[in-house]
Amino acid sequence: MNYTFQFSEVFKELPYLLAGAVVTLEVAFLSFWLGAVIGLFGALGKVYGGAPLKRAIAAYVVFFTNTPALVQIFFLFYALPDLGILLSPMTAVIIGITLNSGAYLTEILRAGIISVRQAELEAAETLGMTRMQIVGYVMLPHIARTIYAPLSNFFVWLVLGSSMAAIFGVEELTGRAVNISTSNLRHIETFTVVAVIYIGLTFVASIFLALVGRWVFRVKARIF
Amino acid sequence: MLDRLIEEAPRFFNYYNMIFILQAAGRTLAMTVIGCTVGFVCGLILAVIRQSKSPLLLPVRLVAILYVEIFRRIPFLVILFIVLFAVQAFAPNASLYAIAIISICLLSTAFLSEVIRAGLESVPRQQIEAAEGLNFGAARTLVHVILPQAWKIILPPAVAFMVMFIKDTSLASQMGVVELTFTGKSLVNRGFSPVLGFGAILVFYFLLSYPLSRLGAYLETRLASPRSKGARQLLWTSASPQGGVPVGGQG
Repeated sequence: MNYTFQFSEVFKELPYLLAGAVVTLEVAFLSFWLGAVIGLFGALGKVYGGAPLKRAIAAYVVFFTNTPALVQIFFLFYALPDLGILLSPMTAVIIGITLNSGAYLTEILRAGIISVRQAELEAAETLGMTRMQIVGYVMLPHIARTIYAPLSNFFVWLVLGSSMAAIFGVEELTGRAVNISTSNLRHIETFTVVAVIYIGLTFVASIFLALVGRWVFRVKARIF
Repeated sequence: MLDRLIEEAPRFFNYYNMIFILQAAGRTLAMTVIGCTVGFVCGLILAVIRQSKSPLLLPVRLVAILYVEIFRRIPFLVILFIVLFAVQAFAPNASLYAIAIISICLLSTAFLSEVIRAGLESVPRQQIEAAEGLNFGAARTLVHVILPQAWKIILPPAVAFMVMFIKDTSLASQMGVVELTFTGKSLVNRGFSPVLGFGAILVFYFLLSYPLSRLGAYLETRLASPRSKGARQLLWTSASPQGGVPVGGQG
């Protein structure tokens, strides 16, 4: 029980770590928006598509949400070279997390689309709204309000989930922490500082997203 | 590549490899079940503390809030590393398996306490006031009034979170705990094709978590009552899925 903490070794490397936090946010952002594109088409296909399409999308979602992203990325990273496709760690991680978030976002967006009640659409039709007007004034505001909170939660999850990129040697926040701690041997201190940075990142992200939600979409999002 | 797979398949699917993988799957499941059980008990305690109104308990309440907020915002990989080095600083001989279980318990306590809190908050205030009126103590109110109504709200997302913990335990392979992911890596290191090695592991993970996520979805439709709508809205904004939306894992 006689461990002396030495944070000064870690604080020297703070700029390096914070630059890693930027990489973390980049990975989260990129896979969020790429996943959102997959999720949009997936959700539309799952709601309006034919039976085979629905089944294919359901299989994609079920497979990716029930297996760990880590093993999926292992698969991409080590199995694709057999087919002659060599991925850099960063690309493999982003493709893996994107496929994953695509599956989750499909479900979230689908929940948003089906939350629009038939009666509302019929009311809009009765008012003589065109198709575009119905989408723009009736469906989208409703969908946005329904999915905003889960989407912002999901983004926070992606920030945390991107930490597994460290395992593949991507130099994001956790990866840089591993780098530092292997040279200064101050493991506990380094990872504590990194944990605090993660808490700060996700906290700022949560508050920011909650405020945007309140102003733009009138969503009462809880921060706590 | 296909010839290689066909050639390797009989060697890969032999008795010893399958036993190796099954044991690892058992270990993954054991970590998840222990983590969920401990997390459920500790989460319930934290949630009840957060519900308490007494000013005397204010510091404890703050600690509970802080704990939940902190552990929901640290990546599981970082929690694993911190627990690993912290435990090893004091107990150098601690097994990696125990360290992984401690980490998953820390994580599940935070997440499940949010789920349980949402369940507890779903019980209408009038019920609690009525119980007070009948001179029920806090413990009796909890056991006889709140929990019988709250478990319907708590159970479906709790099962969904169990799927998430199964996936999160895959990160423990990085420390050297011999669970499914580690087994996959060691099979690949032994020279089997990654398609076979990691493919088999993906299938095993799927076999573990798919029944659970179906159970979660089933419970969600089965236990849903009109009254629970407001509560699910509450869950929505805090931590968990709604209407069969799966929970994202970090693993």
